[in-house]
Amino acid sequence: MISALKRVFGTIAALILLLGVTLFVFGIPVIEGFSLIAEGAGADKFAWSRTLVKATPLLLTGLGMVVAWRGGMYNIGGEGQFIVGGLFSAALVPLLLKSGGAQVPAIAIPLLLLLSAVGGAAWAWLAAWLYVRRGVDVVISTILLNFVAIQLLAYCVTGPLRARAGDVPLTLLLPEALTLWRPDRQMDLHAGVLLALLVAVAVAVYLFRTKAGFYVRLAGESVRVARANRIDAAAMRIQAMLVSGALCGLAGGIEYIAMARQLGTGFSQNWGFLGIPVALLSGLDPMVAVISALLFGALFAGSENLARFTSAGPTLIYIVQALAVLGVVALRSFLSRRGKKPSVQAK
Amino acid sequence: MKLVARKISKSYGSLQALQDVSADFLPGEIHAILGENGAGKSTLMAVLSGFASPDSGEVLLEGSPIPLGRAHECRRLGIEMIHQHFTLVPEFTVEENLALARLPSLASKVNITDLARPALEVGKTLGWQLDPAARVGDLAVGVQQRLEILKALSANAPVVIFDEPTAVLAPDEVEELFRVLRRLRDEGRTVILIAHKLKEIMSVADRATVLRLGRHIGSAPISDLDERILTQWMVGELPNPSARPKQVCTEEGERFEGLTILGDRGQVSVRSVSFSLRRGEIVGFGGVDGNGQVELAEFLAGVRPAISLLSGPVRAPGEVRPVAYIPQDRQVDGLALEMTVQENMAVVGTRLPSMTRGPFLLARRLRAWATDLIDRFDIRVSGPDEKVRALSGGNQQKVVVSRALSEQPSLVVAVNPTRGLDLKAAQFVRDQLRSASDQGAAVALFTTDLDELFKVADRRFFMSGGDLKAADRAEGMLGGSSA
Repeated sequence: MISALKRVFGTIAALILLLGVTLFVFGIPVIEGFSLIAEGAGADKFAWSRTLVKATPLLLTGLGMVVAWRGGMYNIGGEGQFIVGGLFSAALVPLLLKSGGAQVPAIAIPLLLLLSAVGGAAWAWLAAWLYVRRGVDVVISTILLNFVAIQLLAYCVTGPLRARAGDVPLTLLLPEALTLWRPDRQMDLHAGVLLALLVAVAVAVYLFRTKAGFYVRLAGESVRVARANRIDAAAMRIQAMLVSGALCGLAGGIEYIAMARQLGTGFSQNWGFLGIPVALLSGLDPMVAVISALLFGALFAGSENLARFTSAGPTLIYIVQALAVLGVVALRSFLSRRGKKPSVQAK
Repeated sequence: MKLVARKISKSYGSLQALQDVSADFLPGEIHAILGENGAGKSTLMAVLSGFASPDSGEVLLEGSPIPLGRAHECRRLGIEMIHQHFTLVPEFTVEENLALARLPSLASKVNITDLARPALEVGKTLGWQLDPAARVGDLAVGVQQRLEILKALSANAPVVIFDEPTAVLAPDEVEELFRVLRRLRDEGRTVILIAHKLKEIMSVADRATVLRLGRHIGSAPISDLDERILTQWMVGELPNPSARPKQVCTEEGERFEGLTILGDRGQVSVRSVSFSLRRGEIVGFGGVDGNGQVELAEFLAGVRPAISLLSGPVRAPGEVRPVAYIPQDRQVDGLALEMTVQENMAVVGTRLPSMTRGPFLLARRLRAWATDLIDRFDIRVSGPDEKVRALSGGNQQKVVVSRALSEQPSLVVAVNPTRGLDLKAAQFVRDQLRSASDQGAAVALFTTDLDELFKVADRRFFMSGGDLKAADRAEGMLGGSSA
């Protein structure tokens, strides 16, 4: 845990440095740029709300990666699972409206969230099944399934789920009553933030305090050891993918019913991909993932503010995102190379 | 050229691989090095060819010392090694692979065909027709080995070392290889051959040197030797089987009849064998590695299915009884190296009803259980949270043994449980097996160590080519007549 925190804060320092160079290159006064980012991320309650709301899908997709990777399944398909999660929820909405189920939010909202988790899990199951049955590399299948999901989303919002023909391709607007509870109407802060935190605790319990989670980790560490102890490694890996997909799908569901309220082709803003650096930075520890998701959330909220008040425009947001991802990956490989040396000598 | 090894010692960690080993290798002679697994054959060859640097001792080529531990220099001096595991690039063509061994330097311009020509010429003189454009990965194993040999011979090296070249070959390919060895000898080269099949040695070698547990046991011209002497040199005097008072086993136990098991590649690894296991008795399964021991052990441990079993212990469908399994390779099948000591113990601990409630693990109880095992089995760790990778081999094995034997199993399956351990740790593991047996477990001990087989087991079988023979009728199989 201590070393994990060291890594997180070391990364923050490195990112600040990188960011300074970027601002300089863009011709933005560096100090002013930083203060705009800091303002956007935590100056007042509105900024905090933005940070938390952005951290939420990051945390959930990050947790999804943590579970899958702990089980030795390199799921890169968070994006697709996120989208399909949102789609499953959105597909239920017309039925809820027709049947009058929309009148009972206490049932309808959990149902929507549950369905999003099921959708994500189903999408991840495809990759797991291909791996177990046909030996298809999970990295490749999940990446490709991302593209399939993006096309599926485009088909649904222009076809069966389109609100009105001839209009902009969007799904029905979710009724106000079915959105997640907000403490303050003026802010985006919603109950999904708390839910994500609870899920993080649940994932930690699952991985470290349940038999199934332990076997998932064991199968991730060594298929051979699992086999010698009559533990079905393939089943544990499928389970890891299902849980992982469910978490990413839930992220999509929350984003849909709390924030977007209707699906368009641009529903996911790379949330599934951005879960990867969150997971990497956490060292695959669910509780540290909370911190790393907050860090990324703050960075993105801040860079939006920066884009709003400078000449650089929204492109800057994507550059900041890319920098963060590259920074985490580079730092990680640097640290792991440094960390490896002593263990070789010890041998 | 005459190659002399003088008082070579080499240790890897706590394992003494070679101790004061000396030997002379003469030109115009095929010199065989024999010994069981772990006798130090490969280490000695690695020292001779510069792939390993000895702790002490020297190697002389025509009277002058060679640079130790510098493979490239040794090759330049004319010592070529043909490795047991091929050093070919499967994606490259025959020509490219042959050229690769002769690349002058990375910066210079090369012509693949020119570089490969000498090797192909040598091949022609040996009567080998090789297609220079064939992709190496597509060639049969025997042909790949020819390439490996040509790579070494193209430089006209006066000393050629073969590391277990026959292990992968079919019988006619072995004959062909021996023809080449004899020819090299007749050209006046120094040929060194590692092998462990006695019949092959007797037919091709001029002189033999035997190593056992890192020591030089003897060297003599092959005409002064026979298989019996060589076997004795390799395994030592057979221990007296009656050293231990015989257990009295009245129980009939579990009888297996007509048991056939497939190996990983779908080949028949255990062929219609019959035996019984009784409580309170240690049954030993000996023999050279790779004769079906692992497959049989995995079947008994419930890890591998049998394809046929005429009659066996009757069990309810789906019933898996508690088996304590100590797999062959602790670092591959036994332990998840990146997990902690406690987690590795929990692999078995999570099966115990007292350690779980519903889907949840009772963390405090698991920890207490692991701590207790660490105490009882005297495992040297800083605590249950230490990663298993950081432990010594002996302590790693203790983790495997302790978790397996902690809960009084009714059947213990152990495969080479003392391999790579020092004497004290090995004795500890044997004592644990004995006490498990005394407490009423049936113990199946698979071991390639004859000493262990005779000292520890109450009843002995030998495995050879998937068959099982009672030890008294297996004298002829000692020393590894098959692999």
